[in-house]
Amino acid sequence: MRTKRENLFHLIEPLLSRVEHPARYLDHEWGAVSEQDGPFHLCMVYADVYEVGQPNLGVAILYNNVNAQEGMSCERCYLPWKDMASLMRESRVPLLSLEGAAPLSSFDAIGFTLAHELIATNVLETLDLAGIALTSAERDEDDPIILAGGPSAWNCEPLAPVFDAVLLGDGEESIVEVCACIRDARAEGVSRAEVLRRLARVPGTYVPSLYDVVVDDTSTRWGYAVPSAGEDVPAVVLKRCVNDFAATPAVAQRIVPYMGIVQDRLSLEILRGCARGCRFCQAGMTYRPVRERPAEQVVSCGVEGLLLSGHNEISLTSLSTTDHSQCEEILRAMNAELAPRGIRVSIPSQRLDSFGVDMAAAVAGGKRGGLTFAPEAGSQRLRDVINKNVTEEDLESAARNAFEAGWRRMKLYFMMGLPTETDEDVVGIARMAERVLEIGREVVGRGPKSGVSVSISVAVLVPKAYTAFQWAPQLDPEEVRRRQQLLLHEIRDRAIRVSYHDADVSLVEGALSKMGRAGFELVRRAWELGCSFDAWTSEFDFSAWSRAAMECGLDLVDVACEEFALSARLPWDHTSPGVSKGYLQREWLRAVEGVTTPDCTRESCTGCGVCPSLGVHNVIQGVRA
Amino acid sequence: MSRRQTQPFSARPQELPVKADLARLRVEYGKSDRLAYLGHLDLIATIERCVRRAGLPFSIGNGFARRMRIQFSGALPTGTSSSCEYFDLRLTERIDPDEAIGLLRAATPSALEPTRAAYVAGRLPALEAWLNHASWEIVCPGASFSAGELLEGVSAVRERGTITYLRGEKEKRVDVGSSLVCVSADDVEDGVALRLETRSSGVGALRPQVLLDAALGEAGLERPRSVSARRLAQWHEENGRLVEPFGPFVTLGDTPLS
Repeated sequence: MRTKRENLFHLIEPLLSRVEHPARYLDHEWGAVSEQDGPFHLCMVYADVYEVGQPNLGVAILYNNVNAQEGMSCERCYLPWKDMASLMRESRVPLLSLEGAAPLSSFDAIGFTLAHELIATNVLETLDLAGIALTSAERDEDDPIILAGGPSAWNCEPLAPVFDAVLLGDGEESIVEVCACIRDARAEGVSRAEVLRRLARVPGTYVPSLYDVVVDDTSTRWGYAVPSAGEDVPAVVLKRCVNDFAATPAVAQRIVPYMGIVQDRLSLEILRGCARGCRFCQAGMTYRPVRERPAEQVVSCGVEGLLLSGHNEISLTSLSTTDHSQCEEILRAMNAELAPRGIRVSIPSQRLDSFGVDMAAAVAGGKRGGLTFAPEAGSQRLRDVINKNVTEEDLESAARNAFEAGWRRMKLYFMMGLPTETDEDVVGIARMAERVLEIGREVVGRGPKSGVSVSISVAVLVPKAYTAFQWAPQLDPEEVRRRQQLLLHEIRDRAIRVSYHDADVSLVEGALSKMGRAGFELVRRAWELGCSFDAWTSEFDFSAWSRAAMECGLDLVDVACEEFALSARLPWDHTSPGVSKGYLQREWLRAVEGVTTPDCTRESCTGCGVCPSLGVHNVIQGVRA
Repeated sequence: MSRRQTQPFSARPQELPVKADLARLRVEYGKSDRLAYLGHLDLIATIERCVRRAGLPFSIGNGFARRMRIQFSGALPTGTSSSCEYFDLRLTERIDPDEAIGLLRAATPSALEPTRAAYVAGRLPALEAWLNHASWEIVCPGASFSAGELLEGVSAVRERGTITYLRGEKEKRVDVGSSLVCVSADDVEDGVALRLETRSSGVGALRPQVLLDAALGEAGLERPRSVSARRLAQWHEENGRLVEPFGPFVTLGDTPLS
């Protein structure tokens, strides 16, 4: 039942002195929209604590767009940490929005950002704290409409029963259309079921309750979704895409937090999409095409954003910042403008070549902290399998260039469990780290004070929907652990440090990435058994997840490590980012053969299907280096 | 064109005169409403962003991190409000204090509103250690005890001489004799108000809530459901004299003051 909209901050205030980091619950930050008059009210939720959710660019973009509409208001909500959640339950205080301190259950709509798969139990925890029924089917007529979107919406089936509607692709325009649709339908007094039917007509909107899951011999065990009988909804929901990206505001973050947050800097999205075609990368497929902002927009909006926010650092974000065709021009112009003002420019990752090092030097000024590269695999053969188009020579010249430019600490990212991986590839990671260390010692010297060190971080591949590896099995956790030990055994120099991901966390992430709608029972049971904040190492409880799986008749290893037939209908085939299934099948076959595919922003079209199916094209401002 | 548009940030550190030659602007501000719950480090980051937004010509240090040259008065316990917090900001250019206050106000949340600004001598000691005397008020609405009963508890604490308490997992000990200057309590309309003056030293400082908890414990009184604490004033104390944060300054001992 919809509750009354009222400011209930007085219920939270007495709890503030009893919790860790009360600043999480304060609101009133500089730049927050204090006027929330509505009459249509949306609350955007990032289901993790404030300091993790507040930097999210997606929430910021949608917040601005909805608040810019006449008659629409958008507030924020983050999941309280366990101490506060416990006190709220004890004191019978419902979950409140930040700006208006209004109960979430009083909103017209609530929008969840699904940033990663491990946020699943937090979504249920949020709804429960808010006093809102967990599933769409259980909700009352006037309950808020529960929306979702974001990177993990690409296989949202394990949470499909929760959401009334899922927005696919760029949300800038569609969130406003969806809100308007809900507002108008409510004003007409139509039933909740009819509201959902109308939402399904908004392009890019998937309404799970209007689709049935069919399991047959053409599908995996999770089946595939088809429109329910009598429902006039698309068989495949195609994502939304903002073609004129440069026409959108370059700086979305206007709220300046009071407390330290995980990315405590101003972010400017300088380009969207990546066409490098790494075969493990979901974002590389789902955010296509590539759209660059012009250099002058990046520089002028960045400087203005810094003036308005007071930040002392700006991060030029994207999937691959140094691929921007005007990257050098942008960095030089921003440095010239900002360095005299004590402001740092940062880029999230470096391209693995000498140009990448040059760009890192451009943003670092005189500082030389650590430098990070992502070769991803330890052998050229395996790098060809994953289409990571870098060579041994690229890495060696980048490392040499970096050591000569003054860096002493190098960090290398790898993945384990890539398709076709052998022990030789794992050992290759150790050899590559040793080679980089040796280059450093050649350049800097071998003395104990040279300070040269290499750290390697090894993640486990989690095959994701809409990638060339979506059919691949995840590596069995026991085998992951054996290969981790092999790698550790092969590292003989104490100047090389190794860290790796927990195999059990990756296993749960893999299961959530692979399951269909029936997987919701597992998520629900895990939450009932106390799982939440699963992405936090300190909070992840593998025994509870295993128990939940057992009670649901599932085995996590069996689920995550299952290989899907290339011809099978997949649990997520009814949604599409525009990349054709045929293209992904071809990419899978080329991967197995070790054949690489070029980047269409540098060479000709590779036929992924995004441009013709969405009516869009790459927007490159200059010529890519 | 306003200063905010023309001079948004300071010049490069290497172009600056040495620190002692930089103008030192002292600013008084409050900490109230829900922002009383800002921790000290969060408060520092917030004020620094206010200074940047205000476009004041602040100076940057020459260290690796190139931090703003700014110093703050001692940390308030989280949840305690105040009308008398201070920061000293080093400027590369001497601008009118009233203009600085105007720029800061426009760039600062109202719950941290700056109230006064004036230049002080560059060689004055750092604020945190220099402001060593403070007055406080704690109001206990709906208290189940009287002011007299509370004061009996305070007397018992004084007789004991020290308070030992846990801050997180760390045990802290504070000497009541040297840190508690004076204390009074009144029955007010909806409860009890405790007022005290404290003196801090290199050894430690007495937090008002710690005294309250200790006094309640000594007297066997129930802790009220909520308390509101406020710092009312801060001074520099030396040789029994109290010096206001904005002066007038006199030559005290060997400390060179303006």
